[in-house]
Amino acid sequence: MQVYLPIAEMSVDALLLLGIGFGVGWLSGLFGVGGGFLLTPLLILIGIPSPVAVGSGANQTLGASVSGLMAQWRRGNVDVRMGSVLLVGGFAGSLLGVQLFAWLRRLGQVDLAVSIFYIVVLGTVGALMMRESLTAILRRRRARPRRLHEHFWMHGLPLKMRFRKSRLYISVIPPLLVGFLIGVLSAVMGVGGGFMLVPAMIYLLGMPTAVVIGTSLFQVVFVTANVTFLQAIQVGSVDIVLTLLLLAGGVVGAQIGAAMGTRLRGEETRALLGALVLSVALALLWDLLRVPEQLFVIGPVP
Amino acid sequence: MIRLLLLLLLLAFPAAAQVAPPPPAAPPTIAPPSLAAQLSVSTIEVTTAFTGGEILVFGATERLIGAQGDEVVVLATGPSTSLVVRQKVEMLGAWINGPSARFNRVPTYWALASTSPVATLLDGVERQDLRLGLDLLPLVQLGARGPQFRAALASLKQDAGLWVDQVKPVEVSGGRLFHARLPLPATVQTGAYQIQVMLVREGRVVARQELRLDVVRSGTAAWIADVARGQPVLYGLACILLAALAGWIGSVLFRRG
Repeated sequence: MQVYLPIAEMSVDALLLLGIGFGVGWLSGLFGVGGGFLLTPLLILIGIPSPVAVGSGANQTLGASVSGLMAQWRRGNVDVRMGSVLLVGGFAGSLLGVQLFAWLRRLGQVDLAVSIFYIVVLGTVGALMMRESLTAILRRRRARPRRLHEHFWMHGLPLKMRFRKSRLYISVIPPLLVGFLIGVLSAVMGVGGGFMLVPAMIYLLGMPTAVVIGTSLFQVVFVTANVTFLQAIQVGSVDIVLTLLLLAGGVVGAQIGAAMGTRLRGEETRALLGALVLSVALALLWDLLRVPEQLFVIGPVP
Repeated sequence: MIRLLLLLLLLAFPAAAQVAPPPPAAPPTIAPPSLAAQLSVSTIEVTTAFTGGEILVFGATERLIGAQGDEVVVLATGPSTSLVVRQKVEMLGAWINGPSARFNRVPTYWALASTSPVATLLDGVERQDLRLGLDLLPLVQLGARGPQFRAALASLKQDAGLWVDQVKPVEVSGGRLFHARLPLPATVQTGAYQIQVMLVREGRVVARQELRLDVVRSGTAAWIADVARGQPVLYGLACILLAALAGWIGSVLFRRG
C-alpha cells in the first residue's frame, strides 16, 4: 500500500515503514534506547531525503521515548533533577546543532557530515560498549567488591549538587557538558542520543544502571521535542505522516522488545547493543568508501 | 531589358528593396481547425494515496495522420525550479560531494511524444526554436564547468521518470484521432503544467494548441503541507504532541493487554 508523504514529496510503501518502525521499536525496547541511530540511516537508505529523515527521525524517537519513559516513571526510575541538568545542556547543544546542520546544508556537505558523525560516534560507542561488556562477562564469576562509582577529577569541579535518586554528589559541569554534546549530536544526526547518553551516564557520571535508562528517556523526550520543533521551523523537514506510520509499528515493537529484554542479563544486553551499534557504523563506513553507483547527485539549491 | 529585370527583382524581393512594407506575420490559424486537442482532466490531485498518474492528451487532425500527411507532436513542461548537480569525488579514500553546478529554471517535468521521431519531422533550426529535445533545453549552468553536469542532470531526471524523451509514441486510431499518455511519477512537483500540441505538415509546424494542467495537492496531504509551510510553529508543536500522544496510547494499550 503506497502512501504519499506530503513533506518528503514522494510516495513510499506504508507496510515497509510499519516494518521498519516495528524492527527499530523492537530493538529499542530490548535495549532501552530510542533507536533513532538505526532509524535515520534506514530512512535514508530507502530514499527519504536526509533532512526529512533527520527531522522525522527525531520526531519518531520522541514518541517512542514517551512510551518507554512512562513505564520507567511508574517504577520510579527517573532522576528528574539529573535529567533537568542534562536538559539545560541539551537545549543549548541542540540549538547549536540545528545551526550547524543548516550551515552544512548550505555547504552541500550534509550527507558527508551526517555519515561521518554516525561512523565516528557509533564506532566509538559500539567499540567501548563491546569491550566493557565482554570484560564484564568474562570476569562475572570472580565477583569483586566494587566501589559505588568511580570518581573522576571533573566530578570535583565547583557548583556541586546532590542527586538523590542517582546517589551522587558531584559538580553540575560534567552533566551539563554531556547534555550539551549530546544535544549537538542529536540535532545533526536526528537521534535522541540515548545510545550515547546511557554509556555516558554509567561511565562518565557514575550513575547506577537502574536509574540510567529512565533518566536518559526523560532527557531524550525533551531533546527530541526541541529538535523536532527547531527542524520544523528552520528546515521545514518534519513529515508527520512518516512519523506516525513509523510510530504505529514502533510502539508495538517496543513493547514486545521490552518484554523480551527482561529475560536478558545486563552485560549480554550491552554486548548485543554494542555489536549492533558497531555494525551500523561499519555499514555506513563501507557506504562512504565504496565507489558510488551514481557519480552525480541532484539537490535543491540551499 | 535592364528595366524589366529590375522590375522583376523588385517584385521578387519587395522587402529587400524597401518599396513595400513587409507583410504582417499571418497567424497559422486556418478557418476549419486543422488541429483540436484536449486533456482528459484539467486537474490532477495529489492526495495521501497518490502513486503517480498520467497526462492523457487526445484530439483529432483535419487530414490523415501518417508519413505523407500530418504528424502530431506533444510537449509537456512542468513548473521550473533551480537545482544543484554535485559530482562525487574521491578524497582520502572516501567519496564526498565535490564540484557542483547550479542550473536555474530547470523544468521539474518535461515530456515529449510524437507520431514519428521528432528528428525525422522537423529540421534542426525548427527543433531548436521550439525546444523539442532534451539537449535543446535552454539551461544556464553556473558554478563548475563541463558538459558532464548537464548530462548527469538529464540522465538522473530520466531515471526518475521526470524527463520523458519520446519513450512512447503518440498513438493514432482511425487515421485522424490521436492520443498520448505521458507518465507522471509520484515525485512530480505541484503547480501549473503547460502542454503544447503541435501539428507538423511538410517539415513545418502549421498549427499549435496550448493546454494547461494543474497538479495540486488535495485532501490531507495538501492540508499538512500548507500548515507546515504557512505555520511552522504550530506545525512543529502539533508534531510533538501527536508523536507523544501516539507513544502514550501505545504504552496504555499494552499495559492493559
